[in-house]
Amino acid sequence: MSRWVVRVAAAICAAGYVFVYASGRAGPPIRSDGFSYYVYLPSWFIYHDSSLAAVAEDCCGGQFPDFTAIIRWPGTRQWVNAHPIGVAIMQAPLFLVAHALTRWSNLSADGFTFYYQHAAGIAGLAWVIAGLWVLRRVLLRHFPDRIVAATLAAVLLGTNLLHYATYDSSYSHPYSFFLFAAFMDLTERWHENPTWRTSVLLGLVGGLIILVRHTNALFLVFFPLYGVANATSMSVTAARLRRHRQLVAAAVATAAIIVAPQLALYYQATGRPLVSSYGELGFNFLAPQLWGVLFSVQKGVFFWSPILLLAVAGLILTRGAARNFLLPAVTFLTVNTYLIASWFDWQFGGSFGHRGFVDALPVFAIGLASLFSRAASSVAARATVTTICTALIALSLFQMLQYWNGVLPFSDTTWPQYRAAFLRLK
Amino acid sequence: MSRLRLGAIAFAVLGLFAALAYLRDPPWLLSMTSGLREERHDPADRTFRTMAGHASFFVPTDAASVEIPLRGVFESEKDWPITVTIAIDDRLADRLTLTDASWRVSTLRLPPPSRRRVRRIDIRADRTRADQRAVEVGEWKSIRP
Repeated sequence: MSRWVVRVAAAICAAGYVFVYASGRAGPPIRSDGFSYYVYLPSWFIYHDSSLAAVAEDCCGGQFPDFTAIIRWPGTRQWVNAHPIGVAIMQAPLFLVAHALTRWSNLSADGFTFYYQHAAGIAGLAWVIAGLWVLRRVLLRHFPDRIVAATLAAVLLGTNLLHYATYDSSYSHPYSFFLFAAFMDLTERWHENPTWRTSVLLGLVGGLIILVRHTNALFLVFFPLYGVANATSMSVTAARLRRHRQLVAAAVATAAIIVAPQLALYYQATGRPLVSSYGELGFNFLAPQLWGVLFSVQKGVFFWSPILLLAVAGLILTRGAARNFLLPAVTFLTVNTYLIASWFDWQFGGSFGHRGFVDALPVFAIGLASLFSRAASSVAARATVTTICTALIALSLFQMLQYWNGVLPFSDTTWPQYRAAFLRLK
Repeated sequence: MSRLRLGAIAFAVLGLFAALAYLRDPPWLLSMTSGLREERHDPADRTFRTMAGHASFFVPTDAASVEIPLRGVFESEKDWPITVTIAIDDRLADRLTLTDASWRVSTLRLPPPSRRRVRRIDIRADRTRADQRAVEVGEWKSIRP
């Protein structure tokens, strides 16, 4: 059953993607943050230039647009991109197909014509489907197939994941969604049966997680904290890590090799291997906007995806081997929420719902599956949870269509705006 | 491998080749543009579209020439001139220096018809002004022999 849910999810995402672009609801996929994540590909493969200067000359008359967060580094005057290279690496296979098709059809091979645009858009969609597939594998180890099917459907339709698989698929979130699911899968497999292959794959996925979004390095706590619940289990995990230290070293070395090109790019542009191209903008750890990030009408994650409240309740109720994920999940969600709330732009600019939490949806999925599993044991609880989830999914889908239609603002939504737009499609 | 699976693979390969053959020279290329913003009108009701550093569009291969009206974006009299290069199927065809905000027309003679239905015209500007604006491109005209 869950296998079919993933297939139907792929069909829904594809239909949504075609609808968004055929109806003109969204501009070309390579836009806003999607531009900065993608721009490495034409720079590397078409202009054979790692400095981004040649692509800036061709696309933009020598200056990248202000919205891109690509700045000239003071002193060196080289371009530094706030968005790292991970998304571009994961888009590369479809980019190369698009490049070949562009040459074949005699379109302008500048990296921004028709095929390139939709290669970038479809790549995000494909990684969301791949993420659902891997997440299914993780969930099936702990829950019955019908629970997994319901969880996958709820995660896709009850949150902003569908939006980031279609309308804004060139952003980093579809990629992180896949990578987080894959890291959870590999972490669990490694702790059950540590092998060289799993270790190298863990390093590969861990490295990509850092390359897609540097602050997501925090997610790597899943590996050492998996299975830790008390002092005893902590010493068992620590002993396991010590016993297999060569495999751990292999994972770390692989991750370091994956991350190295990014450090080299920073060094080339600035003379330093670690930089923040946001300048004076950054974190304000003394004044985190926790209420805003969690519950506000502006971008509160639980306001716009209330089904995730059930997921949090479910995490606490988690039983059995799935409980091995509890401590890393709580640690990651807590620190990550604090990080997001401390960012100078805690709304993360324009987005449907709070996009900072899309990456963590595989973690929330464990909680949702636990709740569904508990509810399945009683007819009344099952009916209640089914009714609530159906209503929340309907609300989320409707609000997504409102956002696509321009009825809901990109950011800074106020309560009067929300009330005026409620259940209105135009 | 079952017959059904073999048939499905053969069908997929055939479909791929058919799609590639179609995409070699699709008719919809003539209406495709890139790097040009939405249409606007100047006070003289001339239609134009603004470009940043690079724009492209297609003209019929059997046209003898094409006329492209161009106007640089200038915010002050002290702005540097904008140099525009125009290429036909990646071969340089014209170079203009726009020193003021008046319309100039670039007339390009097209090579004899090729095997494709269309020829690609690329326009590149050497600088942009605020909001990624460089050149305004008027309605281009293909002139048949």
